[in-house]
Amino acid sequence: MGGQRAQVIDDREDRHPPGGVAIPDGPPPELVFKRRLRPVQVAHELWAARELVRALAERDLRARYKQAVLGFAWAVLTPLALCAIFTLVFHRAVKIETGAVPYTLFAYVGLIVWQFFSNTMNQGALSLANNLSLLNKVYCPREVFPLATMLVATVDMAIGVGVLGLMFLVFWTAPAATFLWALPLLLIQFAFTYGIALILSVAVVYLRDVRHLLPIITQMGVFATPVAYPLAKIPHRLQEIYVGVNPLGAVIEGYRKALLYGEAPDGRMTLIAAASSVVFLVGGYLFFKKLETGIADVA
Amino acid sequence: MSRDYPPGTIRTQQVWKRFRADQQRMLLRDRVEQAARRLRGDRGEDWRWALRDINLHIEPGESVGLIGSNGSGKSTLLKMLTRVMYPYAGIIDVRGRIGALIEIRAGIHPDLTGRENIYLFGALLGLKRREVAGRFDDIVEFARLGGAIDRQVKFYSSGMQMRLGFAVAAYLEPHVLLVDEVLAVGDAVFQQRCLDRMREVAEQGTTIVFVSHDLPAVQSICRRGVWLEQGTVRVDAGIKDALAGYRDSIEAQSEASARVGEPLALLKYEVRAGSGEETLHTDEPVTVELTLAGDYRGDATLHLGVSEGTSSPIFQISHEIRLTGGDHRVACVIPRLPLPRGRYTLWTGVYSIGKTDGGTLMSWHSAGQFDVFGPMLDTPPRAVVLAAPVFVPHQWEE
Ligand SMILES: Nc1ncnc2c1ncn2[C@@H]1O[C@H](COP(=O)(O)OP(=O)(O)O)[C@@H](O)[C@H]1O
Ligand SMILES: [Mg+2]
Repeated sequence: MGGQRAQVIDDREDRHPPGGVAIPDGPPPELVFKRRLRPVQVAHELWAARELVRALAERDLRARYKQAVLGFAWAVLTPLALCAIFTLVFHRAVKIETGAVPYTLFAYVGLIVWQFFSNTMNQGALSLANNLSLLNKVYCPREVFPLATMLVATVDMAIGVGVLGLMFLVFWTAPAATFLWALPLLLIQFAFTYGIALILSVAVVYLRDVRHLLPIITQMGVFATPVAYPLAKIPHRLQEIYVGVNPLGAVIEGYRKALLYGEAPDGRMTLIAAASSVVFLVGGYLFFKKLETGIADVA
Repeated sequence: MSRDYPPGTIRTQQVWKRFRADQQRMLLRDRVEQAARRLRGDRGEDWRWALRDINLHIEPGESVGLIGSNGSGKSTLLKMLTRVMYPYAGIIDVRGRIGALIEIRAGIHPDLTGRENIYLFGALLGLKRREVAGRFDDIVEFARLGGAIDRQVKFYSSGMQMRLGFAVAAYLEPHVLLVDEVLAVGDAVFQQRCLDRMREVAEQGTTIVFVSHDLPAVQSICRRGVWLEQGTVRVDAGIKDALAGYRDSIEAQSEASARVGEPLALLKYEVRAGSGEETLHTDEPVTVELTLAGDYRGDATLHLGVSEGTSSPIFQISHEIRLTGGDHRVACVIPRLPLPRGRYTLWTGVYSIGKTDGGTLMSWHSAGQFDVFGPMLDTPPRAVVLAAPVFVPHQWEE
């Protein structure tokens, strides 16, 4: 003890300490951090975080259904209520032509998809902002947060599909034999929805007022998407562009054809929707990963 | 490309990190304004370096104390090591599983129960459920949570959260354990157990980076010290050297903090051996003599303190004096100096009594240093931290 002096590496007076290295004014440009994404590593990390996704989704579900007296009924009541309104307004007043299929079934198929999308979008957009404190403490791939909200919406959708089964009983029809077409459409639906949730979730972290836009998007979206009416209502020459921007249009139309009308979905529209949803997913993912690096700085 | 370093290695190469220095509200309309300004050629961005050119190479099993004043970038560095935060430039390479306790609630999700959190954290560390289950009882036992383990963590007290956070980080056998200055939340007994546990995992070969303002605790855990100052590595050396340098700089700063314009000034001081010898000795008489100068007239309290480097004194004594204007000499005799061998700092301050009770006449500051010769203190058992060095005259019998 006593007397020992530490060796000084950086003498800030003249920045040229004896035996030390001067600190430059800035980092060498070639060392500036750039986000590099290796698909294998990204996939591996996401897989390693599956437990977290499950826990986050479980927590959301449990919290929601603990509070609401009606429990899981909520997942059913919202689309059913909308469905009733749509039936009254669009079927009775506007007279939407749905052929041999009951309008209520027709609208309900669209509402299940729309509900899934709007749930994921609204919850997913806030999923990072609501978990900022956690983001600052543990490392995990950040895309698990919007993913968990999509998982929750998927559970709700599964309940909605159960109700659809009941409706088939009520209307005394059976799902068409072409129903297996629903599987590729489901993939398109997931890809597009997740892409949007990724973009919005990171946007809300940096631009907190974006969250006020969400209700507006939701309100307009339900009418701008062929939920209450068939895709054919959109002028024919605009349909391809429309589906490119909003693949949900082709997805809903495809489900109806496959489940209710017994036809294969329109190949061209489905391909456009698939391509578009891949662009949304990949683009959204890259956007997310690029902005992800700064989240802890602004948290 | 890079060599294959074993788990537990930490390497940083030319790491730089900057933050926005200007206030940001994170709103869309602000961004629109900003974009408009940028079009006019005004970038309007103000950045400040939080870390500059950090180069560290920490071997597996090393225990490193990270010290430095507030805002020197310690937490930022730890956050980048856990990969929660990204550097502006440079290479960061941490091998193996990382257990971190950076904030009180580190790795703990408030809405989940303690039990769920433990499994979740284990999963994030890449452990299998079975592996976590094997350590579960140790964690609960260490954190002293008992029945609370099945309650939501948001209902825990901050002490409980910290205990759980530490227990999880320290018992899931990470290769690298990062602990920021959060242990202070716990009570003294728990802090002691944390230090014990850290020493234990260090002996098992875990790399440790420990941030704390409790310098004796740092010294009891760490072999190596890294002193950060204003975002740069000022000293990277053995823990004793790093701490000595850091302590000296704290003193220098408090001496330098100007006391101009105060009614009293310390004209001179002397710490001398009562025996008339050249050097001061443990358990022998010492005289401290001060001369105060200033025009102030009236009663005042004179405080004297002695510290070992840091600003908390080991002991403090005070005395009422009557100032009559002009120079005032006062001496204090300590018949038996209770300090072991070492270098100490003398502190003093004078405060008024009477009408302006407690008014500062000469603020508390370090006057200078003195050395004491005598016996070294006996070494305490593993991971036991002495609050302050005091020599207690004693005799053993058997
Ligand atoms: N998220 C942030 N945004 C802006 N400035 C920050 C942020 N985090 C830290 N800083 C600044 O960086 C510097 C280093 O902070 P920190 O690492 O917390 O220091 P320490 O832990 O050593 O007290 C401080 O000046 C602090 O204000
Ligand atoms: Mg800190």
